[in-house]
Amino acid sequence: MANAETQKVDSILSSRRAMLVLGGTALAGLAFAGKAQAQSTINDSDILNFALNLEYLEAQYYTLATTGKTIDQVGIGITSGSGAAGGTVTVKSNPMVPFVSTVIAGYAAETAGEEQKHVSFLRSALGMSAVAMPNIDLLNSFAALGTLIGVPGFDPFASDLNFLLGSYIFEDVGVTAYHGAAALLTTPAYLDAAAGIMAVEAYHAGLVRTVLYGMDAATPSAGINGLATKISGVRATLDGTAASTPDDVGLGTVSVALNGSSANQTAATVVNADANALAFARTTTQVLAIVYASASGTPGGFFPAGLNGTIK
Amino acid sequence: MDKLDLLIKNAVSRRTFLSGAGTAAAVTLIAGCGGGSTPAPTTTPTPTTTPTPPAITDADILNFALNLEYLEAEFYLRAATGTGLSSTDAGGSSAGSVTGGTQVSFPTAALQQYAVEIAQDELDHVRFLRKALGSAAVPRPTIDLTNSFNGLASAAGIGSTFNPFADSNSFLVGAFVFEDVGVTAYHGAATLLTNKTYLTAAAGILAVEAYHAAEIRSLIYGLSVSSGVSTYLTDANKVSAVRAALGGGNETQITGMNIVACAPTTAIAYDRTTDEVLHIVYATGAGVVTKGGFFPKGLNGTITATAS
Repeated sequence: MANAETQKVDSILSSRRAMLVLGGTALAGLAFAGKAQAQSTINDSDILNFALNLEYLEAQYYTLATTGKTIDQVGIGITSGSGAAGGTVTVKSNPMVPFVSTVIAGYAAETAGEEQKHVSFLRSALGMSAVAMPNIDLLNSFAALGTLIGVPGFDPFASDLNFLLGSYIFEDVGVTAYHGAAALLTTPAYLDAAAGIMAVEAYHAGLVRTVLYGMDAATPSAGINGLATKISGVRATLDGTAASTPDDVGLGTVSVALNGSSANQTAATVVNADANALAFARTTTQVLAIVYASASGTPGGFFPAGLNGTIK
Repeated sequence: MDKLDLLIKNAVSRRTFLSGAGTAAAVTLIAGCGGGSTPAPTTTPTPTTTPTPPAITDADILNFALNLEYLEAEFYLRAATGTGLSSTDAGGSSAGSVTGGTQVSFPTAALQQYAVEIAQDELDHVRFLRKALGSAAVPRPTIDLTNSFNGLASAAGIGSTFNPFADSNSFLVGAFVFEDVGVTAYHGAATLLTNKTYLTAAAGILAVEAYHAAEIRSLIYGLSVSSGVSTYLTDANKVSAVRAALGGGNETQITGMNIVACAPTTAIAYDRTTDEVLHIVYATGAGVVTKGGFFPKGLNGTITATAS
């Protein structure tokens, strides 16, 4: 229990820390108000724009995987609210995944549609404040990440399995990003929307993790759970939690005590959550470290020129 | 009492204090600020307005959620082990009884592991909420896992009886009854919570319920494809239709392109009011309802009856 207790405190502290990180400049401004120091506070639009950057990334990935087209080619806006041009997408030629399973192809198409709607919803909510799509890299990013998990040159568009692993990379991160943002939003309507988008990202994550777990159970020799667990490990390393209390659970089994009415039983780890069965939350700094593939938060990875907006 | 619980307790009492005694507090504050220079009031003001009903506190909302977690924990624990919550986890001697629920025989290790995982998650949610609420935590209400499912099956047109513990496929349909509802309940509660720590915790549980919901929905769909038998998929969608009728719509039927339950235009998950959730778990439609379905004696706590 001491451990669970510690984790609970940690999670509260980290959410506090998130507020301090995001509101750091504002707090400093308050402290030195007498000196008339310049202030720049993080507002709801900044947070929604941060989310919009992530949704651009997810929507491009799924749309390219299912149609071979970028989201602007299927009618989704990528310019800023005031008309600034959107960025570029670096991806292999003919990225449409040669799906073998019609079931997985269906899941992919569903997810593509939902991520597109998240982009459109956030752009609509932000109006003139919406940022343009930043430059996105879906080629070198995955290849570099592949090296870290022992699959050099990893191509998420090559097969059903690779596509699911590519999805795995994004979905849990989306959950933790929206979870971390929830307590920062001040407008109830935005909070409600963000909680609803977070839930959909968790549905996506649950879907991908269930399918991968099932594939591993059917073909244990393929090492699918092991690859997913390595991805979780990379994320926890990038966001700085791997050495202490990792905020990412891979795919596999754990022994649980349940209600103590029987011997310990074996549980799957489909859900990515802490010892209290609460999903993890990440600060914007931690999310940036992951999507930049840089523990120090230097632009790179999926966003070679960084995010657009205030939080980058 | 550890430091965290103290912190949470203080937050609860502060919220209760603010909502329940706001006027008194304001008066005290003014008097205190005025110090000795403020003349003592010579008349006692008479209230001229009808007192407003007590505001719903964060503790009320967390207790509402705790009732739902008791239900889910009992369902999954009994399916996984044949035994429900311990007396300690259920709130001791004041806990209500539980009818029904037996260990399910799962045909594969993976299916067993999914059930065990969700059982542990829901048990953890019960324990987390009970700890956060401390002495304010309500005990487990009386829960019915037999007649409730039979009634639901009848209303859904599945049959006159339905035993979700009969086999693995039936278990998935039984699990489906709960998970999407959990998502909509926590989503609806998010903007009602005033304490940021509670909000973050509730959002974390919301996400976990959504993981579960996707897991159950994708297993039901995948099963229908791999077995070529769509009976259980059809049954789940009949359950979805009943929930929609009772709980203000807010449903997405399972198809190969609809694993996620969300609003079709925005892809944002649905939310439900506490009234809509109560109508579903009480298995009773419009009107003032205080009990029924899974909770034959009603929920414990403040939020127990529908307004209409």
